[in-house]
Amino acid sequence: MEKEIKTFLIPNDLCKRAGIAGTWLALDQISVFAYEKRNIRQKDQPSHFASTTQSSVFHLRQDVVLFHPILRKLVNESNGVFLAIQSLISSKNADLRLELFKISRQYRSIIRACLENLQDEHTKSEKSDEKLELQNYITVFYSIECIWHLCEILFIDTMPGNLVLSQLLEWVSFHFPEYERNAASMLAENVVGLETRSEYWDTVLGALLQGRIKLVRALLKQHSSSDNSTYRLAEQILKAMPTFNGPGGSSLNELNMQWRHWTMDVQSKIDSKLFSTEKNLDLMMRLIVGEEKAWIEIQDKCEVWYAYLAGWLFFTEPTVKSFELGQFAKRAITKLRMNNQMKQLDKVLLAAMEFDIFQVIKEIQHMYDNGWFVSHLTDLLYHCDRLCDLEKEVPDFSAEKLRESFILDYGTTLMGHKSLWQVGLTYLDHCPNDGLQVIELLLPRIHMDTEAKAQKVVREAKNRELNNVVQSVCKVQGMLSMRRGRLGNALSWALKSQDGPFTSFLADEFLQNYIKSGRLSSTDLLDNLGSGMLVSDRLIFLGKYYEFHKLYQSGDYREAAALLISLLASKIIPKYFWYILLIESIPLLESGDLLFSSNDTFTIMHCMEEKKDVPELKDKLDILRLAATRNLSRALTFEAQIIE
Amino acid sequence: MLEAQDIQAEHKDLIHDVAYDYYGRRMATCSSDQYVKVWDQTTEGKWIQTSSWKAHSGSVWKVTWAHPEFGQVLATCSFDRTAAVWEEIVGELPGPGERGTRHWVRRTNLVDSRTSVTDVKFGPKSQGLQLATCSAEGIIRIYEAPDVMNLSQWTLQHEVQSKLPCSCLSWNPSLNKLHPQMIAVGSDDANPANGGKVFIYEYNENSRRWTKLETIGSVVEPVHDIAFSPNLGRSYHILAIATKDVRIVNLTPVEDEQSLQSGVTKLDVQTMAQFEDHNSLVWRVCWNLTGTVLCSTGDDGCVRMFKMNYINSWKPVAVLKGDSSKAQCSSNNAANGNAVTAFSGTARYIKLGSISQTRETPWH
Repeated sequence: MEKEIKTFLIPNDLCKRAGIAGTWLALDQISVFAYEKRNIRQKDQPSHFASTTQSSVFHLRQDVVLFHPILRKLVNESNGVFLAIQSLISSKNADLRLELFKISRQYRSIIRACLENLQDEHTKSEKSDEKLELQNYITVFYSIECIWHLCEILFIDTMPGNLVLSQLLEWVSFHFPEYERNAASMLAENVVGLETRSEYWDTVLGALLQGRIKLVRALLKQHSSSDNSTYRLAEQILKAMPTFNGPGGSSLNELNMQWRHWTMDVQSKIDSKLFSTEKNLDLMMRLIVGEEKAWIEIQDKCEVWYAYLAGWLFFTEPTVKSFELGQFAKRAITKLRMNNQMKQLDKVLLAAMEFDIFQVIKEIQHMYDNGWFVSHLTDLLYHCDRLCDLEKEVPDFSAEKLRESFILDYGTTLMGHKSLWQVGLTYLDHCPNDGLQVIELLLPRIHMDTEAKAQKVVREAKNRELNNVVQSVCKVQGMLSMRRGRLGNALSWALKSQDGPFTSFLADEFLQNYIKSGRLSSTDLLDNLGSGMLVSDRLIFLGKYYEFHKLYQSGDYREAAALLISLLASKIIPKYFWYILLIESIPLLESGDLLFSSNDTFTIMHCMEEKKDVPELKDKLDILRLAATRNLSRALTFEAQIIE
Repeated sequence: MLEAQDIQAEHKDLIHDVAYDYYGRRMATCSSDQYVKVWDQTTEGKWIQTSSWKAHSGSVWKVTWAHPEFGQVLATCSFDRTAAVWEEIVGELPGPGERGTRHWVRRTNLVDSRTSVTDVKFGPKSQGLQLATCSAEGIIRIYEAPDVMNLSQWTLQHEVQSKLPCSCLSWNPSLNKLHPQMIAVGSDDANPANGGKVFIYEYNENSRRWTKLETIGSVVEPVHDIAFSPNLGRSYHILAIATKDVRIVNLTPVEDEQSLQSGVTKLDVQTMAQFEDHNSLVWRVCWNLTGTVLCSTGDDGCVRMFKMNYINSWKPVAVLKGDSSKAQCSSNNAANGNAVTAFSGTARYIKLGSISQTRETPWH
């Protein structure tokens, strides 16, 4: 859907003189800097811009109104409704039409709540620029509600027989409630002689154009001359107006007939000059019979063409069908000579009345709401099967792709926000073609300023079985922790992603630190390794070695000695750690209780001789040999006794 | 409506390249002043220079970040015929703020090129830590750090000779395991008679060599930049080319008998879009994260943006350009005056004026 190209100016002299280059920054920003292409075949010397001006980098971001805190509720609540539609569709509910209608109303009530909120803030606000901003939001969301309501009438909550008038009048009176409000306040006073109020006749006429006949009658009754014959006659006429009671009542033909009789009757009374004494009543009656001149008289009282249209249809085409609306709308616009003054909102409403859904969508995607409206409405219309007809009309059109492209854009926009990204994910989840891939691209790029947030990202990735993302996030967090010297943390991230090589690297760091400091850190974690240690041999060794340490410290020398022997016999001791193990065997060899059998001692001696060239062992070798032989003699003596 | 934040770059000459890390929270800049600078974004959104060092003895053309899985790693290439890999080191026992204790060290200097190194890019992380460079002498070099925990060791794995001088390269970022590694290389050779200026290379697992799959014959003018689009699991690849115009090309692997037997991919090349909007040479092309918007830099001094719509056709959507008139800028500053003093710690944004103000159409 094409749109005009917008041009933005970067207020910087150097950018003007040298030209600019642009590059993307994260999701929604563009970075721009003064740039001049240098040819590598030129001599490498300072450019003629060197040192003259400060060069700047500009970060351009789109102003996302949805990120304004006041719209947070709208974003979150509409997300709930959006998700409700998606589960509704997959549940294959019997009365889908009714449910979708309810959904549409929920969306509208969310917009209205948002508008109320904005109104409140607008009244409270004292800063002029803030007030202006809020006023802009109000205008935008007011328009959205207005269009949505009309689309609901025409495309979602369609009446049997395509009768549309009563809803149309409701729509107009909802958006122009002042007549009803004025009438209510006047009637509440319950005094006769209301015509002294300046707004009295305007209100009567306004109510009449909105088809609120009961209200008109109530107002006329409070006129001080309501007892005179002309007023009584008007009352009689209005009371006798045939009404259409929905599809269950009288048939359309009957109604048409009754209506014709009734208007003929009114016309004859006008012709007999029965109202000539009361010009306001006369005007009303002439409007009722659809007299052109009368309608021209009240043109200026109509704020907008669609209010005029609804009133005019009410009296002249009470059984208008929804598909005829477009031609009447155009006629009304021509009559009001508004053809050249159509604002954006007018154009969208006209397109809707002409049933040009494609045009409606095209227009509303440029609204200043970052695609909130277009994505939610398109999704709803898609699920109402309102877009499939377009596939025949518009070349290359695909309803599914159109829906997805809007949802994808909207979800992506939310992914750029530090706390709305999870809401964004739920939109991307419902893009069957590209959604998961976009998640895979964007999720690992969420700025994880805290571990808790990283955990959240990992959880979301796991929920979607994006193992690559899980591993990548864990690795990055592990690297970060390591850089900050938090080895335990790094190790727990490495374990989470089952990253063998990285775990080994970290286990080495632990052991090296032990060699340097004589202390093992992060013992809580080492305590609870469990089967996690199977990720790497080095980690198994670290875990076992820590166990040895614990046993030794708690005085369980016999178990410690047994573990030491099994470690020596295994093939998982890192080269740099052999001498530590051997040296630590000395006190156990020299222990008062005999801890090593002759076989165990042979194992130790074997290892010792194998490693005797290790430099760190050099000055300990003699003691080690002595301890080992002494233990061997003890063990042999002891074992000989047992055999006897 | 766009807002702009002005960051004084403090380079002594024009900037050649700006690169952002994986999260868009760190920025690296390089310039003809031979310096590389690194900037960090504070929690308030302000960008602060945290490092600056003389990286080369010639203009630094490009700077690029490695994936954060490998730590904080940058690569640069320069007129001085070298490319370098840099790693940020955190000092012992960093405090909680940890600023000021960090510095960048040169992990390796890649000196194999005999001419200016024109581009440098890290490969997709699924293949470990790989680095590709290309140079004016027309050689593409692939380096690898066999031990990702030790970045001082790099081995030159492959040298691929192209018949024309190389100006730019791009790795195919496809996440699909079935796609072999792929690199596109552009040449700024000025003679159209020398034929196509974009070459596609692929790594063949069997022969363990990079082989040329394709020369894009439709592009015979000099190419200044080239970029694969992020791949959303598509079966084909999208390549943007900066030449005398902006070109968007689809590369679709064709699975026929011949390619299955030889194990060498055959590509079907199709030009999807060609934009003359710059009306001049195009210097740079850059995709957004999801590959839906392309931004291009041209000799007309403008940055232009092109968006893909729902039926995969491309349309220009916006233009950025420099403007020396200060009036509008200062008036906006005045309007924002209160906000600026109230939050002196936070980033300051200027509202940008737009020429065709479609957003400001009155709505009601």
